[in-house]
Amino acid sequence: MQFLLGIVFLSVIYMHLTRLNISAVVSYSLQSLAIVLILINSYLETREPFLIIVILTTLVVKVVLSSVFFVGLVKRKKLTFSASNYLNIPLTLILIAMFTVVAHSEQFSLLTNLVSAHNSLLSLSLATIFISLFLTVNRKGALSQALGVLSLENSILAFALFAGLEKSPMLQIGIIFDIAIWIVIATVFISMIYEHFGSLDTSLMKKVKN
Amino acid sequence: MELLIVITSLIFAALVAIFVKKRAVIEAISIVASAIIVVESVIIALKVAATGSYEQYSFFSIDSLGSIVMLVIACVDIAAVVYSVQYLRKETDKNIIGFNRVKQYFILLNLFSAAMFFAISASSPIFAWIAIEATTLSTAFLISFYNKPSAIQGAWKYLIINSVGLLLGFFGTLVYFTSVSLLGETGLITWQDLLHNASSMNPLIAKIAFVFALIGYGTKVGFVPMHTWKPSAYGKSPAPIGALFSGALLPVAFYIILKFKAITDSVVGPEFSSQLLILFGVLSVAVPAFIILIQRDYKRLLAYSSIENAGMLALGFGFGGIGVMAALLHLIYHSLVKSALFFLSGNFLLKYHSAKIANIKYALKVLPVTSVLFIIGVFACIGMPPFGIFFTKVVIFSAGIKTWPLVTVMTLIFVSIVFIGFLKHVSSMVFGEKPTDISKGEDSVWLIISPLVLIILALILSFYLPPFLHILIDNSVLHY
Repeated sequence: MQFLLGIVFLSVIYMHLTRLNISAVVSYSLQSLAIVLILINSYLETREPFLIIVILTTLVVKVVLSSVFFVGLVKRKKLTFSASNYLNIPLTLILIAMFTVVAHSEQFSLLTNLVSAHNSLLSLSLATIFISLFLTVNRKGALSQALGVLSLENSILAFALFAGLEKSPMLQIGIIFDIAIWIVIATVFISMIYEHFGSLDTSLMKKVKN
Repeated sequence: MELLIVITSLIFAALVAIFVKKRAVIEAISIVASAIIVVESVIIALKVAATGSYEQYSFFSIDSLGSIVMLVIACVDIAAVVYSVQYLRKETDKNIIGFNRVKQYFILLNLFSAAMFFAISASSPIFAWIAIEATTLSTAFLISFYNKPSAIQGAWKYLIINSVGLLLGFFGTLVYFTSVSLLGETGLITWQDLLHNASSMNPLIAKIAFVFALIGYGTKVGFVPMHTWKPSAYGKSPAPIGALFSGALLPVAFYIILKFKAITDSVVGPEFSSQLLILFGVLSVAVPAFIILIQRDYKRLLAYSSIENAGMLALGFGFGGIGVMAALLHLIYHSLVKSALFFLSGNFLLKYHSAKIANIKYALKVLPVTSVLFIIGVFACIGMPPFGIFFTKVVIFSAGIKTWPLVTVMTLIFVSIVFIGFLKHVSSMVFGEKPTDISKGEDSVWLIISPLVLIILALILSFYLPPFLHILIDNSVLHY
């Protein structure tokens, strides 16, 4: 589990650092695949048959659908490079380190001790939540912001799984359905942003007047 | 049965808009669906007033406050649909939009309304979250409806800020589940489960959960500092959508916050949630007050006014006691009046083709009925007697003056600034020199009916509350 969550954690850091849109999308798909493997582990422990549907829908939506939509968009519009960060790379890395320390600190021990056996996993999940949130705020590119939102959802799901907080498969399917629609809508909007502004840099959008 | 009829009517109306190619049919079905919803909402409210709650299967449950919000949504929804028919016809006549856009509009409008009804009636907080997220998804394309760069910018900002906010709200919701998960329960966790198991929740965890829920759903309400999506979204979307945002979506999101407040209060007492609500309340009154004073766009002006009124609601619930009753009434009056103002802003936009306050001159002669209604609506909104908002603001302030005197006095000053700002803008819009290129006269009587009915309804409710509504308000005060 530590290894899989490590992939979730490192993938979001990679999304902060990469300048290539395709790499960021692949990184998100890898992160989602790690989540699917965590869900499979959960299934092996509980043998809950409905969980198979959750695993399959998660795989289809977050790994396949997101890749198809986002990679298709990047190739169609030739969006090779992402817009830059608001903060430079050294400052970004410092803040990522700070978020990780904060998530492991006493301040959040109540949350990370919800299941004492999973303390380190919950701390890492919490750190991933903070860093994903920071990704959405720090990146100027619309695609990176969308990936930040999706990564935030993955991190919260990882936290919930390790804390044993949400066990209703029906609700999980509802959430994944929401995410599927979100991915479609975000793709359409990113495409519209590029058509209207000639760039995915959202900082340029602030200057628009009509 | 009633609730299923409500949701299926709206989904049916959306499906008709997808598959039918006759505009009149799409419009008629949407109006019929919203009329059915009004009737069913009244029936549900009567049942809740009689029995205390309304439950259907294990998925739906409505309490007194839920049925009040449901009535509000139903009223604003039918007004918005009736107004939209003529509003979109005028825009089509002016070649602003085509038939496909009209279809898209009615599909999304009906889905948006269905999601709001689903959110307030869902027995599970996660279902409610899914429904609130669905409101974001269904309205994103309504904000970018005119396909202008600034509208797309507003829609993207709306999508990202609300999605992040709601994910934080989702995290808060999951943290509340610790009270139930520790007992080993699985399956559908309902609001009732959370309330019943609140005693087993760690107080500090309850506080953390409430902070996340308040920030998450507070983003949807538009509390400062999470409000930044609101002016662009309200300003760029078609006028009836602005009305639904302010008059229906805001109460729905606020209702979810109050649900979490009730659970948190039963764990840690009311002080913690009250202090947070008062903090967000003051900020949400203070910041818009100064922006309203210098605002140049009348739709954004109404958006900031919605933020200010959300702040008043937060203060009412935060102060507690009689403030809760006043806040509930404030919620009803504000929804009716603000929706009417958004419709009237649509009339200005159709006539003057501009959302700039500086470009609206001599409106009292150019659009006499719209202008008179706008003046009345603004007076109602800022709290002039005899409208109910005057009464609710006075009661909220009197509820706060004993325990929070400094906050109350400061808020009173900010509300006075809002008052001055609105009067300044309205006087510049309705008076002034007549523009040479604008023809006199209302565009259509159908563009007047919706705001007129809502303002009359707000005025009647300011003096008389039907017995069933009285019961619902009293019950809500007891629970929240």
